[in-house]
Amino acid sequence: MNEPRVDLSRRRLLKHGAFLGGGMLAAALAGEKAAAATQNAILGGGRADAPYEFGDPEHTLYTVCQNCNTGCGVKVKIQEGLAAKIDGSPYSPWSLFPHLPMSTSLDEAARIDSAICPKGQAAVQTVYDPYRIRKVLKRAGKRGENKWRSIPFDQAVAEIVEGGRLFADVPGEEDREVEGLRSIRALTDDTVAKAMADDVKKLLDEKDPEKKRALVEAFTVTHAANLGALIDPEHPDLGPRNNQFVMAWGRMKGGRSDFMRRFGSGFGTTNLHGHTTVCQGSLYFTCKAISEQYEAGKFTGGQKFYWQADTENARYILFVGANLFEANYGPTNRTVRLTENLASGRTRIAVADPRFSKLASKAETWLPLRPGEDAPLALAIIRWLIENEGYDATFLRAANRAAAAANGETSWATGSWLVEIKDGKPGKFVRASDLGIVPAEMRSIPDPKDATKTIEYEEKFFLVWRDGRPVAFEPNDDTTPVEGDLFVDTAIAGVQVKSGLQLLRESAEQRTIAEWCELAGVAERDVVHVARELARHGKQAGVDIHRGPAQHTNGFYNVLAWMSVNMLLGNFDWKGGMVKATTYGYDGTKGGVLDLTKVPGKVTAFGISSIRHDLAYEKTTLFDGYPAKRNWYPLSSDVYEEIVPSIGEAYPYPVKALFLYMGTPVYALPAGHTNIDVLADVAKLPLFFVSDVTVGTTSMYADYVFPDLTWLERWEFHGSHPNMPNKVQPVRQPTAAPIPETATVYGEEMPVSFEALLMGLAEKLDLKAFGPDALGEGLDLRRPEDFYLRAVANLAAGEKPDLEDAVPAADARELEIFTRSRAHLPASVFDEATWREIVGEELWPRVVYVLNRGGRFEEHAKGFDGDRLKHVYGKLLCLYQEKTAGVKHSGTGEALPGVATYVPLRDFAGNDLSAQSEGYDLQLITHRTITQTKSRTIGNYWLQPIMPENAVLMNPADADRLGLRDGQQVRIVSATNPEGVWDLKNGRKKPIVGALKLTQTMRPGVVSFVLGFGHWATGAEDIVVDGEVVKGDPRRATGIHANAAMWTDPALRHTTCLLDPVGGSVSFYDTKVRVEPA
Amino acid sequence: MPDEATRLNEGSGQRLSRRDLVRGAALAAVGVTASVASVTTARIAPRKHDATGPATARQFPEPTTVPLDGDVDPLIRMQADLRRAMAKPVEERRWTMVIDTRKCVGCHACTIACIAENKLPPGVVYRPVVQEEFGEYPNVQLRYFPRPCMQCDEPPCVPVCPVNATWKRPDGVVAVDYDRCIGCRYCVVACPYGARTSDFGLDYSDGTPAPQPYEELPNHEYGKSWDRANHGSPVGNARKCQFCLHRLEEGMLPQCVTTCIGRATYFGDANDPDSLVSEKAREPNQIRLLEEHGTKPRVSYLV
Repeated sequence: MNEPRVDLSRRRLLKHGAFLGGGMLAAALAGEKAAAATQNAILGGGRADAPYEFGDPEHTLYTVCQNCNTGCGVKVKIQEGLAAKIDGSPYSPWSLFPHLPMSTSLDEAARIDSAICPKGQAAVQTVYDPYRIRKVLKRAGKRGENKWRSIPFDQAVAEIVEGGRLFADVPGEEDREVEGLRSIRALTDDTVAKAMADDVKKLLDEKDPEKKRALVEAFTVTHAANLGALIDPEHPDLGPRNNQFVMAWGRMKGGRSDFMRRFGSGFGTTNLHGHTTVCQGSLYFTCKAISEQYEAGKFTGGQKFYWQADTENARYILFVGANLFEANYGPTNRTVRLTENLASGRTRIAVADPRFSKLASKAETWLPLRPGEDAPLALAIIRWLIENEGYDATFLRAANRAAAAANGETSWATGSWLVEIKDGKPGKFVRASDLGIVPAEMRSIPDPKDATKTIEYEEKFFLVWRDGRPVAFEPNDDTTPVEGDLFVDTAIAGVQVKSGLQLLRESAEQRTIAEWCELAGVAERDVVHVARELARHGKQAGVDIHRGPAQHTNGFYNVLAWMSVNMLLGNFDWKGGMVKATTYGYDGTKGGVLDLTKVPGKVTAFGISSIRHDLAYEKTTLFDGYPAKRNWYPLSSDVYEEIVPSIGEAYPYPVKALFLYMGTPVYALPAGHTNIDVLADVAKLPLFFVSDVTVGTTSMYADYVFPDLTWLERWEFHGSHPNMPNKVQPVRQPTAAPIPETATVYGEEMPVSFEALLMGLAEKLDLKAFGPDALGEGLDLRRPEDFYLRAVANLAAGEKPDLEDAVPAADARELEIFTRSRAHLPASVFDEATWREIVGEELWPRVVYVLNRGGRFEEHAKGFDGDRLKHVYGKLLCLYQEKTAGVKHSGTGEALPGVATYVPLRDFAGNDLSAQSEGYDLQLITHRTITQTKSRTIGNYWLQPIMPENAVLMNPADADRLGLRDGQQVRIVSATNPEGVWDLKNGRKKPIVGALKLTQTMRPGVVSFVLGFGHWATGAEDIVVDGEVVKGDPRRATGIHANAAMWTDPALRHTTCLLDPVGGSVSFYDTKVRVEPA
Repeated sequence: MPDEATRLNEGSGQRLSRRDLVRGAALAAVGVTASVASVTTARIAPRKHDATGPATARQFPEPTTVPLDGDVDPLIRMQADLRRAMAKPVEERRWTMVIDTRKCVGCHACTIACIAENKLPPGVVYRPVVQEEFGEYPNVQLRYFPRPCMQCDEPPCVPVCPVNATWKRPDGVVAVDYDRCIGCRYCVVACPYGARTSDFGLDYSDGTPAPQPYEELPNHEYGKSWDRANHGSPVGNARKCQFCLHRLEEGMLPQCVTTCIGRATYFGDANDPDSLVSEKAREPNQIRLLEEHGTKPRVSYLV
């Protein structure tokens, strides 16, 4: 083996560096290049041969890519101390298929490179980006003016915590007093917080308005001494003033999520909100609704997750609005599982998408459906399956766990359960004891939250119809199989009942197949062909959906319709059917050596969230009839489009400080420009600070920008995705020396980062969630590794006691490689003695074993068990949803349907969208190309030649009609942005203008553009730092970003985009636009 | 092959500017629009200093911890094929590449992997992927052609070199010695595939506030260390795909092969009938590009 060389040459160091702060990279590491003997092995001549470091384990570090969210395992190759090259990791099931067992030696694995998409490889330019910031930047002009001053980390932390006249030198803000986090954190006594939280829960649960008022009165008496800590004592359900600090994020994975939660718990705010609804929220939250389980008399415990098809084993897949060769989860892992099967003819696919994607180029059938008309297409297929008995009747008849098991199934559905019909409308499932069929029973189960307690409840039993009579059952009964007839419409004891499947059939029968196809804009013969193929392959067929169906105002019901097709096929938990993600735990709650979720000094958070989620409007003291001022989200969470506009409207309450991590809602959201109105206004949002790697399209509006580490410089536990049948836990770890400067927190030197920021704030606020004993007695959390290494120790130790399923210990050779391969990392990141001490000598070699492979990955064959998946869902599937049917739309007051239903596009008030469509004849959609991930890859210059700029894609038939020609500059305008501009509220308006590209791949009447271009920050334009102009790079400003043309909701006073009131998704694909010569 | 630069570019429909071309936007465009040189073998000078014989054989131990039998990724099988080939003297190897277009999804991973591995600056590309759209809505189709150097058995680029800096190696690869190349670009023009481009010494971080050190790291082509700093070779030279000879020498597959997310590229020794690439080379649905030029390309496509 070659000696590891860490000779980052002084010449290169002196010449270069990141632009801000003027400093150089970490001190030059001494070293020398191993002299290679002149061999002329390949090429003769006088030049000496040089060693090839990229095949050496000492020059290879394993981690997880994050240039998109797929999380492919990668190896980062180190040359002269720099992260010079990124290849796929052969240990990762994302990158090699099947992947190498973990027992493969590092020496042998180093010489096996595997696949990784172009974007992942170009992440060398994510870490070495000339526009990265190294120091904290403080605003030196108005919000959005892009004038900055670099200040010390400690000063920034102190100002945010203590507040004051922080911007006295900015014109107009001379007297503005900013409230700091210390003051916002009004409630600090957890005993008081818990007592208040209990009483708030009681008043929320009280249904009678009079009694509710009385409870509010009683609250003010009981908690008289602490009312000052509340946002509004007349509305105790708003919670404490602590809630006026909102923490929000874009892309955040395990580990960093624990830091965020830990800080939130210590601070005592309920407002920790992610970005899910801008991605495919309604896909997540429909599947959450499908996965609600019947426990202790009610439906609860739905998981925020979804299923995808088992790409490697399915025989037939219909992909809907899923672009897996370029995006999805994701190109590297799903493509390899499909291409050989497609070439051999084993697997065939159909693609429904208004745009002919690269995936469609490999499909036997393309259904160019009209955007937003997913439910009609799905209902056509459902109708065909029902009329032609193309469903799995045995699977669907099973009403409880025992019946499923008797059929050899692990999951079962509510299709045969009987639903009560009142005034012609389906509501709850009938309960057998209510009809006097069987008596109710008092039962008790252990409390899942507290093992010392039990939950008492009345079991009233459900009903199916079988052999001409009702049969009572309990869904989780695993001893007495109960099956029901599928299509039931009858009356029992004077109560009208229908089965869930009957309701689905009636929904599908609202139109003929031909009429549904007409609505969806696709050929009936193609749809029938697809339906027949799905039926023919049954459990080895599936519908695999993604953003396409979800990102509409009717997203929830589009997704439910498609998932209902899968339920009819009965393909859940089968090899070739629907898969869910399965991971090894790292936080200690599944086993391992230390529970990392326990937070000392926690202040119990309570009160309505700032985005009004997880709670019904009607339960709150803010209830004031319909429409509500803004939507409420009892079935969803992480509603990104609500975070900033809700602050702007101070509904449900004003927010005083916002922290945003790795997110740019302005760029990412449809009509994201609406967020600028709030972010640029210090009256609406008094304090705004962010963690970012550059001054980005949203962070440019912040008061403080803290530099962060890119994924090559930091930790995370990436988790898995629903197309991965194996149990995994990829680990992201530092592979490149950090670019930002260091700071000292809790006496420890570390690079300025997201973790350093939260820990610095915690230290200043004296939160016990971090610092001494924060992880338990004698277990400090003073630096990021204190958490991350113990988490890796949990992962290495496994979920069983006594290290029974622990990974092996690294041998001497592996320990040596571990050390040598990190020789380029500074002590502020990697100090081996400290690392060993954190995990202890016993676990250290096992931790090294995991880190040397970038995670823990189950062997490929262990993901399957005969015809089945090994890691099954194994539970009830809500085809009919009682919980959903019990929710009211807070814009209209109408009850939501409990079964897949065609819901046309609507605004929040329930109005159709014809008014704003008039005069705008093209429907705007978006798509992803493999070279860009929305806002964060424009600086990856290697990718630029493939697509230097994006364009507006249009069918030539539309261009002929409009008199437009290929290549000309065009502007996109809509009824809610007739000017066709991004108003940046800093005196600048960026036109929504780009080149027109004519292509037969677009459905006529629909136009699209690739997300990822048209930037106005992130290095695209000039900014001023410490009085010096930092010139922007025109290559980063190319192309068009048309999100600002997307419709705002008139029923929400145009403060936000249109949205799905049920699943929470933003409307990405519903806007009608006009394309005009620019 | 498409005859318009615009087809190579997935972005706007606009024609590419000269600046785009220089900065690499055009990928293969330079070559495909170039005139085709006449093919002659008369001036190919033998390179006597190409080592041959037993000393060129490389013994790589069989891995003991990597499963090699049964259900393995084609990359694992091809690497085993490679070890067998490298155990032979160089003149007994016949490197060949078969690209299955049915498995290519037009992702460009190979293009970028090659740029990263060979440290290609703006304007230099060894393996672009050409995308074509044809048909009319709704009967439309997309097609993708990765385009490495064809390593022609009758290479038009070789005889035009005035200084014998490029030649056909015993294993079939057409090599360039940057220390001999004078940068005249005759070969760039002569190649009908556009497989050669010139290194103008540009950097990706040119024009930004902070040039980045990774751009000056030496590359590993031909097993040497080529340091672009101070305008050293290969700046100013003609550059081209060499099937990652420096990786083969380490028992590693060419970068475009390992990084392919669809496993569309097969590589190996055509002299080894048991190699995966030989199996693929036997399939009937095989084409070669511009065969009418008499170049005898060593790269073929399954369609």
